[in-house]
Amino acid sequence: MDKLQYADVNRDVVRSLVETGPRYYAALFIAIGVTLACFFFPWFYQLYYGIGAAGMNHPAVWGTYLASFIFWIGLSHSGTLLSCVLHLTNSEWRKAMYRSAEAMTLFSLMVAATMVLVHVGRPWFVHWTMPYPNQMELWPNFRSPLLFDVMAVATYLTGSSIFIYMGAIPDFAAVRDRTSGWRRHMYVLLSLGWRGTDKQWHRLGWAYTFLAVLIIPLAVSVHSIVSWDFAMSIVPALHQTIFAPYFVVGAIYSGTAGIVTVMFVLRKYMNFEQYITRVHFDNLGKLMLVLSLIWTYINILEVFTGWYSGTSTELEAMKYKMFGYYAPLYWEMILFCAVAPLLLISKRFRTSFVPMLILSVAVNIGMYTERFLIVTTSLSRQYLPDAWGLYVPSLVEVSILIGSLALFTTLFLIFVKIFPSVSIYEVKETMATPKRRPSEEGVPQWQPTS
Amino acid sequence: MATHIIGLFHGPDSALAAAGKLRGAGLPTPELQSPVPIEGVEEVLGVKKAVIKRFTFFGGLIGAASGFLLAAGTAVLWAHPTGGRPIITIPPFLIITYELTILFGILATVLGFLISARLPAIRERIYVPEAAVDKFAVIVACDDDEHRGRAEAILREAGAEEVRASMEQS
Amino acid sequence: MNFFDRFTKGWQKYRKPGYYEEFDYAWTMTIDLDRCTGCSACVTACQAENNIPIVGEKAFAKGRQMQWIRIERYWEGEYPNAKLSFIPMLCQQCDAAPCETVCPVSATYHNQDGLNTQIYNRCIGTRACAVYCPYEVRYFNYNDHHWDAPLDQQLNPDVTVREKGVMEKCTFCIQRIRTAKDEAKDDGRRRVRDGEVQPACVQTCPTEALVFGDRKDPQSKVSKKLNDPRAYRVLEELNTLPSVVYLKKVDADG
Repeated sequence: MDKLQYADVNRDVVRSLVETGPRYYAALFIAIGVTLACFFFPWFYQLYYGIGAAGMNHPAVWGTYLASFIFWIGLSHSGTLLSCVLHLTNSEWRKAMYRSAEAMTLFSLMVAATMVLVHVGRPWFVHWTMPYPNQMELWPNFRSPLLFDVMAVATYLTGSSIFIYMGAIPDFAAVRDRTSGWRRHMYVLLSLGWRGTDKQWHRLGWAYTFLAVLIIPLAVSVHSIVSWDFAMSIVPALHQTIFAPYFVVGAIYSGTAGIVTVMFVLRKYMNFEQYITRVHFDNLGKLMLVLSLIWTYINILEVFTGWYSGTSTELEAMKYKMFGYYAPLYWEMILFCAVAPLLLISKRFRTSFVPMLILSVAVNIGMYTERFLIVTTSLSRQYLPDAWGLYVPSLVEVSILIGSLALFTTLFLIFVKIFPSVSIYEVKETMATPKRRPSEEGVPQWQPTS
Repeated sequence: MATHIIGLFHGPDSALAAAGKLRGAGLPTPELQSPVPIEGVEEVLGVKKAVIKRFTFFGGLIGAASGFLLAAGTAVLWAHPTGGRPIITIPPFLIITYELTILFGILATVLGFLISARLPAIRERIYVPEAAVDKFAVIVACDDDEHRGRAEAILREAGAEEVRASMEQS
Repeated sequence: MNFFDRFTKGWQKYRKPGYYEEFDYAWTMTIDLDRCTGCSACVTACQAENNIPIVGEKAFAKGRQMQWIRIERYWEGEYPNAKLSFIPMLCQQCDAAPCETVCPVSATYHNQDGLNTQIYNRCIGTRACAVYCPYEVRYFNYNDHHWDAPLDQQLNPDVTVREKGVMEKCTFCIQRIRTAKDEAKDDGRRRVRDGEVQPACVQTCPTEALVFGDRKDPQSKVSKKLNDPRAYRVLEELNTLPSVVYLKKVDADG
């Protein structure tokens, strides 16, 4: 990175925004097409027909929609959270990748919010979960874990959009000066008239740090609260105190894998080879390894708690999860999320790009399975054996799952053309300051007088 | 009408040195514009008041109060007993309180940032486009020719690559 | 009374578990499993009374049948020594209902009769209540239902028809309870007399296995049944405090 100069950063980032190849348009076209065909079309059908378009039935009233919701919320957990932690610990390697990681947070949260709309039976009334004065004289039920979810996700969405925007204000200003036409108008508005004075930098530094401090506990609370949707019930195998840390760790784990995937794509197709390097993959790989070990530990603990309780319902739930109808999925999850990441012990593996991409995708498949199993296995084996059931996703659900991936991709593709996807000023901070010219060499350093 | 003398520097150290000298020479406190935050500005140009922390703190405090009041108030005014629990249930309401504390804290921090950094800018102010790329600009407001000459001399002496004057729009 | 006193009084009132000082009525049902023959008359009666949709063959195969009261069958042992037992399962109207707390929009709450009520037009269909219910007695409308030509004539005008995306459940025939209370008020009586109101299932039960009444009235039939040594509640260990009490079946072999 030492070869890069300050001006190169501006040039490269502006280039990534302005120069658009046919490959990008092709990708965008496909992504929008898949989103419309696989997400919106089945969803409209479901709106017309009712939730019956999905595979849910009497004991298993929750299905893949909720699993997708947790998955997307989980994916959102690494971006902003990791960025905040690394910002507070002054990590250099954060600076080239945090913008796109935060964007991942933002868009996966948006997709998660859409999944809620897909999940509920009457999405046209979903605004009733918002606390606002109304003529019905009815307010949301603040005792409900689902309402904690609404509050937490809304706060997290607000917080992380503000965080990514605030960090990008100086970059918008830098890009503003180098673009023209409608882009310039947009960046003039987005940069709010940023000038980069010492006072503004000072304010930005403080505000950014405060936001980071506020967002870390927020992010932890968001996924704890999502876990309480399950853990606050009295369903066997869900009513466990380990669920909050289990979900938080799982979320950061799948989010980190998601960052690896996104970094790979950005590096490869946006020509950021000089910015996103092996160092980033190495560090993310170490993080994933640690998280996978914690995740494995909690999984063992979960089974152990169920077994140790000795109650018939818990034992049945555990047995069903590991050896029942969904057992292949369970062992696939163990393979992808607990066994395969052990490869990360090798530094050669961590610093090779394609194997890291494959592993990161495998981990996320495994993590999706985990959420699916949490929802389905527990719900189909509850207290009364007469009401046991079996849940198999319908075509509509599978299609919407694929469509949600396309929706995420579409949002991300639009993002990389509007937001500088590598932070200009923070990358500059990691570089050596511009070389002095010879005439400056003799100038003595100014010292404070008092 | 005040004129601004702008000196462009290659590195943060020389820009900072020049700013210190300008201040030492009795000119108004200069303003720096830079592509990255400069470390050690406060030692040269004086400590800046950090007002944002007050915004964050009081925002959080208001958020906590309004969070609990929202949950408890609406529950009491439109009582809907559920699950054999009391109307004011402390642990769930504390979660609402927690979330709203953070939400209001974030919003107040943003407000504090915008107010204290004078953003969004409505009036046009002195701006050096090079400072967004790789130059460090020192800007000093001068009322008369005497100040102007002195400022220019100091900037050149400190190793400015370029010194120019800008008329303030008013 | 100054502000502080009012505050403490209000605080005590609203911090009281269960909120209600006492229920006006505490409607209770007892189900004598010794008398239950598993004839499913209650299921049919409920279906007719409460406009419960007949979901059809395909939805039934998917496990989406709607029966606010259902007969659970349990087999014990292997043929030829197999033993069959029935247990009618309906909403237990729990006093500490897990389903009520989880609804984000307060579509289900506890009313002053001690009933666990569902507000259909408030429901947004998160289905969380059905997950939280350990008895699995909440039924979801997976799609809109319709009644074929002659059947639409027998819909009960006192009961609404539920839209797609809405959760529904046993209400102890709240429309009958309301009517009985209105009649009692019109007659100048303060309370409904025992036996004056019966849900459809109780009314239909040929063996009188189901008994319904107010457990606040010590003379009511149901109160007497509650003192039976055979009385127990299903999944009592979950502390949901159900209002439906079962009387254990007594077998020859114990």
